[in-house]
Amino acid sequence: MKYIPPLNFSPVVSTDVSLYRSGYPMPLNYSFIKHQLHLKTIIYIGDKDTPLEEYQNFLKLEKIKYYHIFMDSSRDEGIQERMNQVLNLVLDVRNYPILVHSNKGKHRVGVVVGIIRKLLQGWSTAGIYQEYGLFSGGMKDGVDLEFITMFETNLKIPRNIIPGFAKHCLYLNELEAVEGSENESGSESILTAKQSL
Amino acid sequence: MGLYQVKNEQGSDPKSSSKIDDLIENEAEIIRLIKEDGKLLIDNGDGRDIHNIIQEDKLLSVEFNEVLKRFHDGETPEAPHEVVDEDKDDKYDSKEHHEKTIQAMSTLNHINNKEVIPPENFSHVVGEIYRSSFPRLENFSFLHERLKLKSILVLIPEEYPQENLSFLKLAGIKLYQVGMSGNKEPFVNIPSDLLTKALEIVLNPANQPILIHCNRGKHRTGCLIGCIRKLQNWSLTMIFDEYRRFAFPKARALDQQFIEMYDDDEIKRIASENNWLPLIW
Repeated sequence: MKYIPPLNFSPVVSTDVSLYRSGYPMPLNYSFIKHQLHLKTIIYIGDKDTPLEEYQNFLKLEKIKYYHIFMDSSRDEGIQERMNQVLNLVLDVRNYPILVHSNKGKHRVGVVVGIIRKLLQGWSTAGIYQEYGLFSGGMKDGVDLEFITMFETNLKIPRNIIPGFAKHCLYLNELEAVEGSENESGSESILTAKQSL
Repeated sequence: MGLYQVKNEQGSDPKSSSKIDDLIENEAEIIRLIKEDGKLLIDNGDGRDIHNIIQEDKLLSVEFNEVLKRFHDGETPEAPHEVVDEDKDDKYDSKEHHEKTIQAMSTLNHINNKEVIPPENFSHVVGEIYRSSFPRLENFSFLHERLKLKSILVLIPEEYPQENLSFLKLAGIKLYQVGMSGNKEPFVNIPSDLLTKALEIVLNPANQPILIHCNRGKHRTGCLIGCIRKLQNWSLTMIFDEYRRFAFPKARALDQQFIEMYDDDEIKRIASENNWLPLIW
């Protein structure tokens, strides 16, 4: 029995929690997802409104929570808000293991992963661009890369649900230090991402 | 800072700008020639195409390369007649390694010192197994503080650089070396038993988190990862898809053949004796 991972499948984070990326899972890939990944959540970043029927059945059968975040490209109006929605899901440790997928697993997922690398893991821009290029087949969409680089947010996330890998977030750490002295029960951290030059 | 300064000085260098002026004139001449005879653009085998004409004229070719250099700002243009060795990436060059380190470190002052820099071609493979190209000084904090590496497996036969060795010692990371020279098509093959030996190191949870690297993280590393995917029962198509993604644009047929032909009986036996399989994501 061979496993067939979806297009452009790869682990993104595999330390304290598991986060994966890929293209659109097709019936051929279901057995791989079911037997290997044991997902709790799938986030689809894309333009197809209703999932394929087989896909719906599969998600139901495996009891996987499915979120569709609409995205056409990083030029979309309201893209900021949608990325915040994605981050909200990714920053909740209770949702893991998570698979984030788009259609081909190249550009849209590339943008999401890029933002995670930058905001939550503090990767260098060069490393982020290189990874984006790896999965997009060498095509570097300037707008996508610019969007990743310039992306800022000031989400509020309860500190106790933030997964371990994201605790390195540069800006989050600073805020935690300040807030820690304030009030222990007020466990909200603000995720800000102002590019400090 | 240093790099930017150098660039600016070059840009305002009066000598080079006058060369550009010359070239613009020459360029007009070239365009005139092309317009006169469109055949110049086509390589018809008799050497009378535009590239040959430029290269034959010493002065013109020097200036042409000058402009190319400016066009590819920062990239070094290949010498006109140099034979490109498509296997040269396989060879670890200690001088290049050192120079790139110095270059990267000199620009580091700009960067927020909390930022981490993953090595080129870095990726997660499965569980706490990672892959990349040859890590340099600027990548050490990423490897040590983020990945919390326990060991590194290097697949090159050359001696490991001193600066990396000191880092490993400082960080308490164990180094394994299984030197192989890569599939030099079509004459040199990776010996199967060496790959089995390498897999035995990688799969052992006692060595994880582990980073596997060769020089560029494309070919030898790609072969090893391909064999890990075989142990995970992946379909060959998706194994090769991943191999090509990382080897791009230099994917080798023989590497993929190696993955396909690799006999995993021995490593499967060792792995199941030790309860290493299935690999956990």
